Amino acid sequence: MNRYFLYLVLINMFINAIIFVPSILIKYSFDGAVASVLLSIPYGVLMTFLYSKAITKYPEKGLPEILANTTKWMKILHIWFIQLAFFTAGLITLLGFLDIISRFVNPEEPRLILLVMYLAAIFLVIGMPTQRVMYFAEIVLFFSIPFLGFIIFKAFSSKDLSWDSIWEVTTHVFDWPSLKAFAASSYVFSGYINLIIFNRVIKGKLKIWNYVFVFIVGILNLFTTFLIPIGYHGADGAKEYLFPWISTADSLRLVYSPVERVIFLFIMLYMGVTLISVSVHWHVALELVKSTFNEKAKEKKKWLVLMAIAICSAIMVQQINTLQLNQLTEYWMILRLAVEPIYVLSFYFWAGRKIS
Amino acid sequence: MIFSRKRHWFILILSASLILNGCGYKDIDKRFFVLAIGIDPAKHSTKRYLVSLKMAITRASREKPTDTIIVSAEADSMGEAVRTIKTKVERELDFSHAKVIILVDKVAKSGGNSGIIYWFTRRRDIQEVAWVAIGKPSAVRILHIMPKSERLPTNSLLLALGEDGSETPYIIPVYLFELKKRLIERGLDPLLPIIEVEGKNLFQINSAGVGNKSKIKLILSQEETKMVNYMLNMESKSAQWVERGKVKYIIDTQKVKTDYKIITPKGKKPYILMKVSLKGRLEETSRRITNGELSKYEETAEKQLSNEMKAVLIKLQKANLDPLGFGLRYRARHLNKDDWEKWKKIYPTLDFKVKAKVQISDTGLIE
Repeated sequence: MNRYFLYLVLINMFINAIIFVPSILIKYSFDGAVASVLLSIPYGVLMTFLYSKAITKYPEKGLPEILANTTKWMKILHIWFIQLAFFTAGLITLLGFLDIISRFVNPEEPRLILLVMYLAAIFLVIGMPTQRVMYFAEIVLFFSIPFLGFIIFKAFSSKDLSWDSIWEVTTHVFDWPSLKAFAASSYVFSGYINLIIFNRVIKGKLKIWNYVFVFIVGILNLFTTFLIPIGYHGADGAKEYLFPWISTADSLRLVYSPVERVIFLFIMLYMGVTLISVSVHWHVALELVKSTFNEKAKEKKKWLVLMAIAICSAIMVQQINTLQLNQLTEYWMILRLAVEPIYVLSFYFWAGRKIS
Repeated sequence: MIFSRKRHWFILILSASLILNGCGYKDIDKRFFVLAIGIDPAKHSTKRYLVSLKMAITRASREKPTDTIIVSAEADSMGEAVRTIKTKVERELDFSHAKVIILVDKVAKSGGNSGIIYWFTRRRDIQEVAWVAIGKPSAVRILHIMPKSERLPTNSLLLALGEDGSETPYIIPVYLFELKKRLIERGLDPLLPIIEVEGKNLFQINSAGVGNKSKIKLILSQEETKMVNYMLNMESKSAQWVERGKVKYIIDTQKVKTDYKIITPKGKKPYILMKVSLKGRLEETSRRITNGELSKYEETAEKQLSNEMKAVLIKLQKANLDPLGFGLRYRARHLNKDDWEKWKKIYPTLDFKVKAKVQISDTGLIE
């Protein structure tokens, strides 16, 4: 198994397990969320398979290197359009998590200051070479996965988890799948798309076990994301929570640990996971933008891009409240769902033709 | 060049942390940590509630670690009460350590109190793992109880409700999030332990109140509470009291497990098949019982246990209350959309069949 590839997938799964996906899925839990989740699993694995197959035909090359010899306008069209998607993906994750921090950790701190601190750390990471961003991700995951795994294990094994509520939701499996729920649950799988740049660190082809892993972990992740909050807060009650997973983490009690409340451990771990998730997205966006500049002006223009990112995030964090952000994310996810298969399939066929 | 750029960033991050220190933080000695919240009906005014907060006094020395202060205010809502209390104390209230919420039974019995519970879950700083209980005769009295054994304020309540200390089947601890779930889940009704004042400075928790979605309707006795506890599979260490003819004996239970099925045969009356298995040994008898005749006594115990359990189930059914979640189980096992409507018709006509299996391993150290 290629661990760098799996990190990319895992980061996306972890981050979506708490911020937007659970609340969207739970909102539609009686209106087709179960069917959407079930459908999204084969869809997500298929997309992962197609895209990674196509891009690993160019070992250790990101998209800019692959497109180096094609015509310029195609490059610009291709690249300018994708990095906007990556930038917004990182942005909504960041805004969502800042909202959580400012609610649960330090409500009196202005969000702008939290943003500045996060941006400082993120900019430090995204300017690094791709290989080092990957190392950084590895370190953060290395420290947080055992604890997150422990928390999830605790959540599963607690007697407060009501399996009847979970079963009640799963009995709605024959409801017609809902588009928004499908968009949300398939987003969980789209960590593979970061290969667009991170293919630079992937040597050789990906073996079949990688996809088996994505399949299994995807099922587990969707189950935890969607059904654990329902087990704790009820099939009817979980909908009332704005952040179902954060409230679920607060409903766990570690009796003999130094800190009884899990929520603080949970948010602390997620601070790191959010940092790398946003960094990975924005690193991709930055690298793609950089590849459209000519060699001389690269360094200066990079700063301009970073400035633009900072200003854009600052405006968003000031202007957008939680509910608007949730709305926006739902639409963003649908848009992503529309664009993703077109992009992946066209790239797959383009790469296939090119090689042969 | 690269090095200097990095240092640049480093300084920027450090300076950002300087901004952090200023605003959001208040020292411990400028805060009151609320440990328990009590809600009584108001006595002296036309307002609805009398809200009392029990707060720990933080001080530098370690003398009198159990020092607390109880401040009350009358108001129509929780939010109003807390704001009024804030005007009575000199420090900022901090709810992050609020672990016990006590409703007095009059408040719990008067309808429409779910709003108050929602205040707790809506606020981000009150933990979801706080315990909720009913206080008798008043919540303030419960807050005032400080047993001599208590080394930290309200710790005795926390130990009792958290089952970290005494383990007994008569306490059914309920977390705040659990209560909120029960307030809204169709087919699972609220259930709260009842804390009573006992003597001068002790409390007693041995009964439970069962309610519908808006108020407490039924108070369970000690033995009924135990049966509910068995059926919720919460606590196995208990004692089951049995009478066979003139012989009375007590089984010290080591393991109690229950499992039920809702069976809806076509054309016949639907019923719930409750299976109980109880393992234990004899602890006390009024007459000598030899190990050889244990099976006879097991049989009697089975009969009595199933009768007791059936009585509780019927009592709950007559009150149309469902704290055990039969309705939820029915919804979880049926695919049709109108399963809840169907269940509401089925539940009042339901039969209960209890199959008890008692295993007495021996008569203890003495035959």
